[in-house]
Amino acid sequence: MANWKKIGAGAGAIAAVAAIGAGTWAYETLETSRSDVADDNVTLATFEANPEAAERGEYVMRMGDCAACHTRGQGEMAGGYEIETPFGKLVSSNITPDTETGIGKMTERDFFNALRQGIGQHGLLYPAMPYTAYAKLTDADMHDLWAYMSTVEPVQNDIDENAGMPFPFNIRLAMAGWDMLFFKNEGFDGDPVADRGRYIVDGAGHCSACHSPRNILGAEQGSAYLHGANVDGWHAPDITSNAAMGVGGTSAEDLARYLGTGTDGVAVASGPMAEAVQHSLQYLTVDDRLAMANYLLSVEDSGAERTAPAKIADSAELAYEVNCSACHGLNGEGIVNAVPAFKGNNALLADPSSLIHVMLNGARAPYTEGARTAAGMPSFAWKMDDAQIASVLDYVRNSWGNQAAAIAPAKVGRMRETLGASQPISALPE
Amino acid sequence: MNRREALFSIGAAAAGAGIAGRASAAELRGVPAATAQTADHMPGPIVRGGDFKVFTDQTDHATLKAVFDRLIPSDDHGPSASEAGVLDFLDAQLAGPYGDGAAYYLEGPLQPGHEEEVMGQKQFLETPRQRYAKGLKALEQYAQDNDGASFAALSPDRIDEILTGMEAGRIDLPGGVFGQAFFELMLQNAREGYLSDPIYGGNRDFAGWTMIGFPGARYDYRAYVDRHNEDLALAPVSLIPSN
Repeated sequence: MANWKKIGAGAGAIAAVAAIGAGTWAYETLETSRSDVADDNVTLATFEANPEAAERGEYVMRMGDCAACHTRGQGEMAGGYEIETPFGKLVSSNITPDTETGIGKMTERDFFNALRQGIGQHGLLYPAMPYTAYAKLTDADMHDLWAYMSTVEPVQNDIDENAGMPFPFNIRLAMAGWDMLFFKNEGFDGDPVADRGRYIVDGAGHCSACHSPRNILGAEQGSAYLHGANVDGWHAPDITSNAAMGVGGTSAEDLARYLGTGTDGVAVASGPMAEAVQHSLQYLTVDDRLAMANYLLSVEDSGAERTAPAKIADSAELAYEVNCSACHGLNGEGIVNAVPAFKGNNALLADPSSLIHVMLNGARAPYTEGARTAAGMPSFAWKMDDAQIASVLDYVRNSWGNQAAAIAPAKVGRMRETLGASQPISALPE
Repeated sequence: MNRREALFSIGAAAAGAGIAGRASAAELRGVPAATAQTADHMPGPIVRGGDFKVFTDQTDHATLKAVFDRLIPSDDHGPSASEAGVLDFLDAQLAGPYGDGAAYYLEGPLQPGHEEEVMGQKQFLETPRQRYAKGLKALEQYAQDNDGASFAALSPDRIDEILTGMEAGRIDLPGGVFGQAFFELMLQNAREGYLSDPIYGGNRDFAGWTMIGFPGARYDYRAYVDRHNEDLALAPVSLIPSN
């Protein structure tokens, strides 16, 4: 989903690679022997799940956060989530066991092929589906997930996933080229029990789908693994062990608490991360979250450094006091478990997209068992112009020990347009 | 209700603390995740003033200015009402729902004849906009009839005399305008304009708030609540930042 513009620039290259077609590469990428462990006779609609397997599978579903894309108000797992890309619109599929419009006719083998290799029942899947990460799922987790999926209520909801994709991007075979270049047809390369944290982070959790930057063709850059990246007008921050910009200064316990509740007592999740916490991570066991945290704290330091500070405008302190301090605190201390602190919050310091995003459109913290306030950040789009938003964010990013570059008002203006946020009323005609 | 629904319902979530394992997850229902400003909650544009929509008649405008600048004259405490934009404020208000009487019941009495007795005060079927249109003309007529001059040309003392008479209920205006009620309406609106947020056109440069020492649209005073007997020198703040 990230860097679609860059992906667009490389669209021609995708086509070129697709044209290479059927080589050894294609064979290695698309051969499905990994799915030999799965049954190829019984369909999902007729499969009788072992209740215990289905229950374990529900947990796998939570880890994978399937619902994030496949449950969007048209029924549980019934699809319909529209993903805007420069190539056109993609719509998430109906993965209920409905035989007509869902995946009810899939066998377990088909299911394995789709999930771990991106080979779907209507052709190759687009890499918006994180099969590059799901490829790491173990056979056991896959069997359980299959069992769970058979217990999902069938919903009739006909979805044409790529109807909004113009030629040539509506040709699913083009993904063969992409897969050949970027998809590793391999399972998890470690012990999924001993390496539990990495197994979840890189596999079902697909953390790098957002937190790793992508190359010009939309593939994650292994060299910048979890260094932080922009996704859909949000910045998924550096979550490597880097202490200046990443999570290196956080304890594993606090990081695990963040995963489970959306807050470590300092930062509070917003945007897509709030959804990931609310719909996925809070369902994981404490041990699993701790394993993830410990693994993240072991990820190689991104090496990111804080940029030179911005000059704070004279008016910014009053603007902060008047507009922000009631919740975020006069000293940037926030409100524990509800409102993010700015002091000691590294997530503020890199790309400011998320900050601008919540200033323009507001945000809501996840509602979790451990942190139930689900506090809302109001929109300031109607109230502040681009320069005022940039100025108050410069203040936040350069106070209480923070240090970050100045934000260009033009960037705020571009995001205001992209996000469809209103103009400030000071700019409205009378 | 299936198990998932039961788990996710708010009630179950509240009780969930006692449930072990996977049940210790909760999702909020019924509270919108989006907090973006929606069109139906957008405030109107800032009133810059100078472009009158209601007080387009020069005489009406001059009459109202003469009244307002006696109610709040320019002096050591601050600028006059008109200097602070109160006419601009009122013009914008009368051009909108307030002027339409949108908040009033204006269908007429069910049992005509004793509505004043029932309600305890004079009742009007006119909207505020209509009351100003009629009242300002009546004031001018009153001045022409009694002084042989335009109302706006009267001396400050004479204007005070008329306004005082209206306030006390001694003076009613031509055309059946109840003087006391019209005076009260003008006084109320002059105060509102002088003391409301500058985004509505009045209280220009925080004239009103500076005069009374009001620090404006600040959200939170916890930083100051323990500071006694000192001049906090809090600059007035508008709902819309000006810089």
